[in-house]
Amino acid sequence: MKRLIMTVLLAAAILMLGSGMVFAKTLKLGTMGPLTGPYAADGNDIKNGVLTAVEVVKENGGIPGFDSIEVLPQDTACEPRQAVATANKLINEGANGVVGAYCSSATLPASEVLDEESIIMITPASTNEKVTSRGLPYMFRMCGRDDDQGAIALKFMQEKLGAKSVYIVDDKTAYSQGLADGVEKMAKAAGIKVLGHEHVNQGDKDFSAILTKVKTDNPDVFYMSMQNSATGALMLIQAKRMGIKAVRLAQDAVYHPQLIEIAKDAAEDVYLTFGFIDDNAPAYKEFYAKYQPKYGNPGAYSGYAYDSAIAYLKAVKAAGSTDPEKVKAELMKLDYDGATKHIKFKANGDSGSNYIIRKVEGGKFINYWNPATGKLY
Amino acid sequence: MEYFFQQLINGITLGSVYALIALGYTMVYGIIQLINFAHGEFFAAGGYVGVIFMSYLLSQGAPAWVCLSGSLILAMAYCAMLAMAVEKVAYKPLRNSSRLSVLLSALGMSIFLQNGLMLTQGVYDKAYPTELTQGGFEFGNVMLSYMQLFIISLTAFLLVALNFLVFKTRMGKAMRSTAQDKIMSALVGINSNRIISMTFAIGAGLAAAAGIMVGLYYGSVRYDMGFVPGIKAFAAAVLGGIGNITGAMIGGFIIGMVEIFAAGYISGEYKDVFAFVILIGVLYFRPSGIMGENVDDTRV
Repeated sequence: MKRLIMTVLLAAAILMLGSGMVFAKTLKLGTMGPLTGPYAADGNDIKNGVLTAVEVVKENGGIPGFDSIEVLPQDTACEPRQAVATANKLINEGANGVVGAYCSSATLPASEVLDEESIIMITPASTNEKVTSRGLPYMFRMCGRDDDQGAIALKFMQEKLGAKSVYIVDDKTAYSQGLADGVEKMAKAAGIKVLGHEHVNQGDKDFSAILTKVKTDNPDVFYMSMQNSATGALMLIQAKRMGIKAVRLAQDAVYHPQLIEIAKDAAEDVYLTFGFIDDNAPAYKEFYAKYQPKYGNPGAYSGYAYDSAIAYLKAVKAAGSTDPEKVKAELMKLDYDGATKHIKFKANGDSGSNYIIRKVEGGKFINYWNPATGKLY
Repeated sequence: MEYFFQQLINGITLGSVYALIALGYTMVYGIIQLINFAHGEFFAAGGYVGVIFMSYLLSQGAPAWVCLSGSLILAMAYCAMLAMAVEKVAYKPLRNSSRLSVLLSALGMSIFLQNGLMLTQGVYDKAYPTELTQGGFEFGNVMLSYMQLFIISLTAFLLVALNFLVFKTRMGKAMRSTAQDKIMSALVGINSNRIISMTFAIGAGLAAAAGIMVGLYYGSVRYDMGFVPGIKAFAAAVLGGIGNITGAMIGGFIIGMVEIFAAGYISGEYKDVFAFVILIGVLYFRPSGIMGENVDDTRV
């Protein structure tokens, strides 16, 4: 008898729980990125950017038809296999949309899985050309593309620095080596002498042997393509100690507040290719005011992650549902000034590149050179 | 020629670090025939204690030499205690079990310590106050930074001190006799448990010193920094003849030099390959390592 009562009670409890779920409609937004390992800083930036966006949307009245918005953060560890596993996990948990991932090598396979289930994915950080060139219908990109980035780096070397020679170092990831190879090819075509193109291993800390080569060859420009800002910082410290005089030029994955925190004065006067950010734009100010007190200074991809999440939520709001076709149609209609850039998606899912040259000056990143006009900011 | 000398200095610096870590492997192996895979984590922990204490001292306005020596001593003491605790928890209860279980226990300890560091210190790099270590001497185009000089001379000092300890003191004598035969030395009144503890402590202290030097030299520390140098130092210990202290030093310097010269003259991509090819080559022709004796397998 006792057992029967227990069973009935249990069944009733489950039923109540189930019916409760039916009424409380929750919008589930997944995030993907490396939350552990060498690229954890960037993965956490993405997660924090999305959390900030959700907070802002909730404060502005949320989304009609949904009681709450839930963020489901997933750790890809920048590995293709784990990325696919987390994509499946997000599908099981019923994610409606996904912001992520960080490494292109993780984004590419994960997006295939998500696309099969018609889940919209917006990457805030993967710059590899293939991300949007495969023609996946639900794949979007908030940041720029590598081919554009390499071209800007070259333009800067030629027009502003008047460089005659360059030494290139990368750390052999799909992203960093792809970009460095592109720069090498373009530099050769433009008549800039490539004195060397060296690779270091991920996880290396000692670059003294390579840097000695750079010093001996004495190039005009030392181009660093690293997957990780902390590694970039170590290289800058050692380059300074070694007394390398070449102009140091890096790219967007090296761009992170961590770079200046670790390298300190060794990071001074480093140039980086990164998307243009207007610190005074109202949308950026709103983002910064929400983000900074909670998570500290925004990382390289915090802003892009924030914009990705806002764009997705805006589209859901306009569509009035999470139906992927409707949301996609609304996403394509978006045309507004986000925190990091003007948001207007192209047919292939790209939002366009807006790379400029940024520079470390006085312990801060500043907008430095505008490639479109060839002028300083 | 300048290029060669610059690479030579780089190689000696890196070799010093490997040598210091390798000593811990070799000493522990010498005394209880255990490859202590958690050894790299003492190196990482030392780096962390160093950065925390050094930043604190610096913020209190202490002069540079106080920051350096104070944090060095504290980190070495901390890691020595940590190593003794690890030995008590993970290795002592298994002393009479098969070697495999102790090895697995060591691997488990390594994962445990690394995750402990990650959870308490975070996944981000922690920056060392590098302003203490700017500048250096310049001979023509060859640069010997103060930091490199500091690493090389501190390593030399520690190596001399260790040699003195092992070969000239009563404790060193006890260590050597325990390594030779634990039961017999216990019979003549040597407290072998204490000696084993001390061996762990000394090895971990040296690794902690290496951790601080690496942090200062490269500018930052991270929770997983112990793994790769740990493997390299293990290779160095094997190369020199595991169990042999002089061998570990020589092995450390060889691995460091090979790595730097391979990167400098051949390719940065394959530098690790060359280091391990040398290791395999030496072991092929001289299985006991460079300085190792040919031990009879039947020895109990």
